[in-house]
Amino acid sequence: MKLGSWSGLVAACLLSSIALLPGQSLSDFEKTVTEFTLPNGLHFILIERHQAPVVSFNTYVNAGSVDDPPHKTGLAHMMEHMAFKGTETIGTRNWPLEKKALAGIEHAYDLLDAARAKGSDEKTIATLQTGLKEAMEKADSYVVPNEYDKIVEENGGAGLNAGTAEDATNYYYSFPSNRIELWFLLESERFLRPVFREFYKERDVVREERRMRVESSAQGLLVEKMLLAAFTEHPYRYTPGGIAEDIENFRMPEAFAFFKRYYVPANITIGIAGDVDPKECRRLAEKYFGRLPAKPAPPRVATVEPVQTTERRVSLEHQEQPILIMAYKRPDHSDPDDLVLDVASEILAGGRTSLMYRELVRDQKVALAAGAQSSFPGDKYPNLFLVYVVPNMGRTIEQSEKASLDLIERIKTRIEPGELERVKTKLRAGLIRRLDSNSGLAGDLTYYHVAFGTWKRMFTDIGEMEKISGADVMRVAKKYLVAEHRTVAWTYQPKPKEGK
Amino acid sequence: MRRALLLSLTIFAAGLFAQKVPDYKALKYPPLRQVAPPVPISFTLPNGIRVFMLEDHELPLISGSALVRTGNLFDPRDKKGLADLTGSIMRSGGTHAKSGDEIDDDLESIAASVESSIGESSGGVSFNCLKENADHVLGIFKDVLTNPEFRKDKVELAKTQALSGISRRNDDAGGIAAREFANMIYGRDTPWGWTIEYDDINRIHREDMVAFHKRYFFPKNVILSVYGDFSAAEMRAKLERLLGTWNAVEPEVPPFPPVEKVWHPGIWLGERDDVTQTFFEIGHLGGLLNDPEYPALEVAGDILGSGFSSRLVEKVRTQLGYAYAISASWGAGYRSPGGFEISGSTKSATTTDTIRVIREEVEKMRTAEVTPDELRIAKDAVLNSFVFSFDRPSKTLNRLVVYAYFGYPADFLNQYQKAVDKVTAADVLRVAKERFHPEEFTIVAVGNPKAFGTMPLSELKVPVNKLDLTIPPPSPETPPATAAVVAGLESKEKGLAILGRAQVAMGGLDHLRAVKDLDTSTDIKFQMGSSMASGKQHALRIFPDVLRQDQELPFGKVDVYSDGKTGWILSPQGVTALTPPVAQQIRQEMFRNMISLAISNTVPGRTVNAIDDNTVEITNSEGDKARVAMDPATGLPSKISYMTTPIRGAPVQVVETYTAWKAVNEVMLPFEYEIEQAGKKFAEGKITSYRINSGLKLEDLSKKP
Repeated sequence: MKLGSWSGLVAACLLSSIALLPGQSLSDFEKTVTEFTLPNGLHFILIERHQAPVVSFNTYVNAGSVDDPPHKTGLAHMMEHMAFKGTETIGTRNWPLEKKALAGIEHAYDLLDAARAKGSDEKTIATLQTGLKEAMEKADSYVVPNEYDKIVEENGGAGLNAGTAEDATNYYYSFPSNRIELWFLLESERFLRPVFREFYKERDVVREERRMRVESSAQGLLVEKMLLAAFTEHPYRYTPGGIAEDIENFRMPEAFAFFKRYYVPANITIGIAGDVDPKECRRLAEKYFGRLPAKPAPPRVATVEPVQTTERRVSLEHQEQPILIMAYKRPDHSDPDDLVLDVASEILAGGRTSLMYRELVRDQKVALAAGAQSSFPGDKYPNLFLVYVVPNMGRTIEQSEKASLDLIERIKTRIEPGELERVKTKLRAGLIRRLDSNSGLAGDLTYYHVAFGTWKRMFTDIGEMEKISGADVMRVAKKYLVAEHRTVAWTYQPKPKEGK
Repeated sequence: MRRALLLSLTIFAAGLFAQKVPDYKALKYPPLRQVAPPVPISFTLPNGIRVFMLEDHELPLISGSALVRTGNLFDPRDKKGLADLTGSIMRSGGTHAKSGDEIDDDLESIAASVESSIGESSGGVSFNCLKENADHVLGIFKDVLTNPEFRKDKVELAKTQALSGISRRNDDAGGIAAREFANMIYGRDTPWGWTIEYDDINRIHREDMVAFHKRYFFPKNVILSVYGDFSAAEMRAKLERLLGTWNAVEPEVPPFPPVEKVWHPGIWLGERDDVTQTFFEIGHLGGLLNDPEYPALEVAGDILGSGFSSRLVEKVRTQLGYAYAISASWGAGYRSPGGFEISGSTKSATTTDTIRVIREEVEKMRTAEVTPDELRIAKDAVLNSFVFSFDRPSKTLNRLVVYAYFGYPADFLNQYQKAVDKVTAADVLRVAKERFHPEEFTIVAVGNPKAFGTMPLSELKVPVNKLDLTIPPPSPETPPATAAVVAGLESKEKGLAILGRAQVAMGGLDHLRAVKDLDTSTDIKFQMGSSMASGKQHALRIFPDVLRQDQELPFGKVDVYSDGKTGWILSPQGVTALTPPVAQQIRQEMFRNMISLAISNTVPGRTVNAIDDNTVEITNSEGDKARVAMDPATGLPSKISYMTTPIRGAPVQVVETYTAWKAVNEVMLPFEYEIEQAGKKFAEGKITSYRINSGLKLEDLSKKP
């Protein structure tokens, strides 16, 4: 332990009082966990919690928007949407005929694309467009709409959804525990023989999602702009929502190729938490997921972001009230400094005793709100340590930036023992509070397994964190939170129009 | 060759495997393991706090909350936002013992929390901690609940933040739509639908929060719940020691103001030229949770627009690709109606068509029965997911507390489940017909109409109104004095300050002065001999002098007209000109009208003097006098007293007490009153309608019937 005697004593007391309680030490928790890997490489983590007859499932696919092919930004997200469209047996009235009709759509689309490329006359294009529309209508006539979702909902499924992030895609929901087998059936079917039906309508839905999340919000647009400035090469420069033109030109076979490449058993980890019998789960896993053919895991992104050497500054005019983001380059989650950066972000912005709250919000009243995030937008590859400020009415971006920079300088030179201890206590207690949710556990444990090779990291990280000293925090702040690795992004309001 | 063979064998084996997997329809489910829901312990402390407790030893945590019957529905009209500020500063402003910052340090060093807040129809204080810190954290919890200090620095901080919040309220287009829709359907002039402005926040001071807290935070008004890793007996003893000495007593808190059911059909368009989507909210008031039709309405709402398998998702999202987000629900509240609300967002060009399709889908719900499949899926979704209402013991405790708070039976959820099971397709059609009113829909759309393209909103054949999203800038004048400031002033200044407070409470001097005429219909009861008689009164006033009053009394009709100087009276005895004493009485009656008195500082010849911290005496140039006493809590004029001389007999004191204040246009007016003469109840009135500025004309008023 590198801690001084005083703070070390405090830490030891708190640690013992928390860690010795039953139910949340690693050794106790371990007894509730069963892990196994199928011969095809698919890994399962089961967590037994028998308090209530319910089970939560999380399928963690180790592929996200960083894996989008060039000029196909948003494709991982599009793929996620297609995973709800059913299979060869779910969502169809007649699969053989529907299959032919789906091929007909692609054929008609190919003809249209070719004619456009050639610069054919309007009449030809219009005829081909009608042909495409008719092909789609034909295929639609075989569809049982949203059948996959209906099965989940009528069986009492709760929280059905999925999310595509930069690093990974998660599929999740919960069932009453007597319907575990139904989950095995549905989840294995959608990754064994999915059908990407209604693709082009769903493409419009995905386009709408981007309009809602990004284009209609100053924050969405600013983050997009900030990432484009901070990353010049690495795919973190694009958000999972993708670029509008890319989305509008997606073709179904491209999405299917993405599925074939990335949705392979060796690239999937499944977490199941709740009222489960591990033996029965294993039997069902083999029966249903054993059918997925083994394939090599896809490669990691090879692109390396060049070292940033000067500060980058970008701004965006927007009607909404101003916001400020400052982002510093930092290494990926496997770096030994990873946890120290977590602690630094907590000291800066975790709760009412944090520096940013006390200085920016409470004392100087520069900010309505302020925060920090130790990893953004993902953490699998070198990423960003983020600080953001929402200025108070009448306070400026300049004032917000100045006040934030002062605090970042402060943590390079001084960390109070009390500040550090509060953060450690909070992170320790935070772990306990994370243990009472099935869906939270299913998600957390699969993440730790994929990121670090073992779910146990969620617990052992707490012990590692105890070893972090004030000197460590100052060292990483000096190393990473420097001007030449910084991107500053902000919004400003247009000047009022003359004569109005 | 060998390799190829092996490969084909693998494929064959995979094929065999595939055949063993059943169709989902063939799966058989074992009965769900039944877990008896935990039974919380409940009791009442001697001081009146109702307590619910539930042990759960899974994790070493204890949490709890004090639920208090209060809410921003009790915000004074001129200090909207008071409840919210009070709720947040109870905690941030510290207690007698510790400043808020000291509490922050204290709690965060043990990873615990104590938080306070006041929402629309409830408020309270909650805590969460590791069990070994329970005693310490409970002490802070109690202090925040019973003894908040509202330190000035935190009052200022919270006000600054509230003002910033107002300045940012139009940032999020979806947020604008949701807010404006709710304000429209509940009524913008009511506590349910009004908007907090800069002036409101600027008028709020520490004293207001102290008074608000005192009024609502007392033991009989609190339901306490405690959950987690403790022994119930020990916790009970602990709570008795901790809270037993809290003896604050206040009058029972009145019911929340009722929601007036008024339709607001039409389209309201909020313009934002920087968005590519239109955010919309469509619907009208919903109903109550304990409405016998609620289960059928819930099923109808689900089939229409809840979840991926609903009609709106299928049509608008899946078939048309118009929207990512689209949903509908029959909103129901415990004690007041929720909103029947269809919401979502679509690209600008498909705005009008999306709204058209939505109305069509609602219409379909009202014209044909839902299919057996739709009904089964919607019901099964509710019935099969029922177990998630019990998946954590804390949910059972929380539900029980909420039911107790709103006066619902403890088994309400089970009743609801049984009722859902019985819903038929005919029920769904019937309630959709009776309770969905697409012709009355309030449609709020926030987006860029320039990009709506070939289909403007006018194609929907519903009047399109523009939403005014302007945020009124703060008024330059000094904010009206608070009760405490008033107490320190000299009589005349003080009188004007008290009156100023009343003007603000009644909607502001500008609005009061804008009242040119007033049409009041009243049901009256009055003492006639030894019994009460009733009658109807219809008074038409043109300020400042003209009054026409028609009365239907047990002994016949009595109509009076006066223009301030001359007039006539029509009674069963016939028509006569006003005698001077009667003319004087009518002039005095006009002087003592609530609105006339309220604007006294702007009427030449009148003086306003303070009698005490809440009462003024107003005198006019004719020497008429009236005393007006304001309600200390609301600032509204609650009593008007004066001397009057009956036709026969000695002068007597009259006291008029006004209650049931409600907004009429921009002005607050009383809807009930009582009149005492010489200390005895003489009459009471219930106003059945007020009409402000309906354009009354002198020649109509003076016309004899």
